[in-house]
Amino acid sequence: MRKFLTVLQFELVTYFKNKTYIITTVGVALLVAVLMFLPNFVDISSLLGTDDTKIESIIDTPDTDSATDIQDSRVMAIYDEASVITDESLLAALFPATSWHNASSVDEVKELVNKSEAEAGFVIHSATSFDFYVLNKSLFNNSSSQFQTILSTLLKQKYCEEHGLNVEELDSVYYAPIEVKEQVLGKDSAQNYWYCYALVILVFMIVILYGNMIAISVTSEKSNRSIEVLVTSTNPAYLLFGKVIAGCIASLLQCGIILGTTLAGYQFNAEKWNYQLDMFLNIPGSVLMTFSLFGLGGFLFFAFIYGAVGALVSKTEDVSKSSGGIQMIIMIVYFAVLFQLQNVDGIVIKVASFLPISSYSAMFVRVAMGKVAAWEVAASLILLYGSILGIGILGAKIYRMGTLRYGNPIKFTQVFKFLKQQ
Amino acid sequence: MKFEVKQLYKSFGEKEILHGVSFALESGTAMGLLGRNGAGKTTTIRILMDVFRADKGEILLDGKPFISRNHQIGYLPEERGLYPKRTVMEQMIYLAKLRGTSSSEAKKNSDYWLERLEITQYAGKKLETLSKGNQQKVQLASTLVCNPDIVILDEPFSGLDPVNSQILQDVVKELIADNRLVIFSSHQMSYVEEFCESIAIINFGEVVLSGAIKEIKKDFGKNQLVLSAENYDTAALEAKCKQELSAYMIPMNAKRDYLILELTPGTTRNQLLEALLKTDISVEHFETYKPSLNDIFVAKVGNEK
Repeated sequence: MRKFLTVLQFELVTYFKNKTYIITTVGVALLVAVLMFLPNFVDISSLLGTDDTKIESIIDTPDTDSATDIQDSRVMAIYDEASVITDESLLAALFPATSWHNASSVDEVKELVNKSEAEAGFVIHSATSFDFYVLNKSLFNNSSSQFQTILSTLLKQKYCEEHGLNVEELDSVYYAPIEVKEQVLGKDSAQNYWYCYALVILVFMIVILYGNMIAISVTSEKSNRSIEVLVTSTNPAYLLFGKVIAGCIASLLQCGIILGTTLAGYQFNAEKWNYQLDMFLNIPGSVLMTFSLFGLGGFLFFAFIYGAVGALVSKTEDVSKSSGGIQMIIMIVYFAVLFQLQNVDGIVIKVASFLPISSYSAMFVRVAMGKVAAWEVAASLILLYGSILGIGILGAKIYRMGTLRYGNPIKFTQVFKFLKQQ
Repeated sequence: MKFEVKQLYKSFGEKEILHGVSFALESGTAMGLLGRNGAGKTTTIRILMDVFRADKGEILLDGKPFISRNHQIGYLPEERGLYPKRTVMEQMIYLAKLRGTSSSEAKKNSDYWLERLEITQYAGKKLETLSKGNQQKVQLASTLVCNPDIVILDEPFSGLDPVNSQILQDVVKELIADNRLVIFSSHQMSYVEEFCESIAIINFGEVVLSGAIKEIKKDFGKNQLVLSAENYDTAALEAKCKQELSAYMIPMNAKRDYLILELTPGTTRNQLLEALLKTDISVEHFETYKPSLNDIFVAKVGNEK
């Protein structure tokens, strides 16, 4: 145990003295801190898409100069073949800050849109039919549906007039305000979705980034030829466990500092951010705890595999060659879990939540968003940590086998043959 | 302590590399493992250090099975390497602690060996900033930092300049005087001759000659003499001897200044001398041949394939 601690201490010092490690940790943490405090100094409402105060004021005071300026900021083309639009106030209400260009033909509408002289164009064929023209449609473009609302409203007004009905009265009944008090007694998937999404990406990045770092640190002892002195000085298992766990501590510390700065910075400035990042950063303690347990387990599991892979090659530039297969597995798990985020009680996630190669993200997602029994969590955790121990011991054997095998990377078939002989 | 290696066999794949290597030595002595490149010296040493497992054979220390991890061993491998980005002192303390030395002892020993090898000024420097020779000295200091009872050095003199070689020779002599057990392999016979009591010459995975150097030299030089003449050069002297003295001796080797010859069976030195005096050879040098280790080495493994 003392020798293991000696290796651990030595390896940790290696990380903590590494300039890249220090600069990355401090630099990114500072950057995040600055970003979190940014709303105190800069108006970021446009960045967040919450800049609607001006529009509201324009609607309230449509005759002011500023309103005119803003109204001129967006141009829409319209060609009303059937003279359906009789009340232009509807256009102003649903398309604020927009000036309308009345075109004389369909071609003119197309030309205006094509030349970007109009943001979009509408060709009205009848009270129930129109064409919508836009050059490049953005993800959140809802102009077409807003225009549908206008035509529906006009139809409704016409119907009421024809049948002697009062539009306002009808609307007050139809759109009577209903008070809703939502009480989620279990898990709110809608609320948990985004931070689950973010944490799945985070654990994936940690495993890939730091796994490679650990593999390189093992390989470097072969490339600098110190491995023979080391394996004859102490038990190779201490060396591998010391290296991997030091890598884990260093990487978790780095992530912890960056993530901690982000969360603390946001907690401090949540109001300034208008609570817009709550969906990512307001993570319940229990979810964070589950994420830590499974995330750490998954990281350790793959860290030992990366450590063993590092022992198979003798040059650091060859690490990527041998770790390709492992990275493929991690990627498949990553995409499988992300694609199943809306079906967390499905069979794919259920199976994945028990496999050590995938439970680190699948079980965490089930806990955060789905139905899962306590025994399932415990069983998955035991399987994961048991596998870590097994992989660690296996990794130490591979590490020992890799000693003095310089030259081309050792193939997995050779490894299995060796382990069979053992 | 008595260290014995008995009948070590080792194969890599289908190829047998060691075919029954045996030797023995005791504390307070040094033994040189000699052999050409690829003879099996490093493989033998790696088996001693448990880097490889022998297929057959045993290693005993005082009659009991030897397990390297249970003893303080200073091992200098043929493939040198330490941490280039760490300071000399950091890695010395680390290696000492890995071998079970306490922190305070590790620091004390590191200071001692850095001073002894005259590299104290580099203690706080990163290894990569040192010259190759000084890196070699740091490697040696790291080998000895755990205060080992057994010292195994694989090609310790390679890469050292004459001054540093002398320092290493002195260190090895001190280790022997301090009753340590020293095994080392080398190509440089002069160093082996300097402080080894015994040798084992390995050729193609077999020990072809082993024992105390004095005895080996005595046996090897038995019935062999050195002869030179004032009036003949070596080539002419060899021809003359073959022509007139073939009943008494056989010329073995013609060196630049003298001829090495062997007495024919039953001939004494006096009889040869008498016969020589009857010829026109003006004897300049006539003495018992004392072979160098190099001569013995070349004779034993030089021409074998």
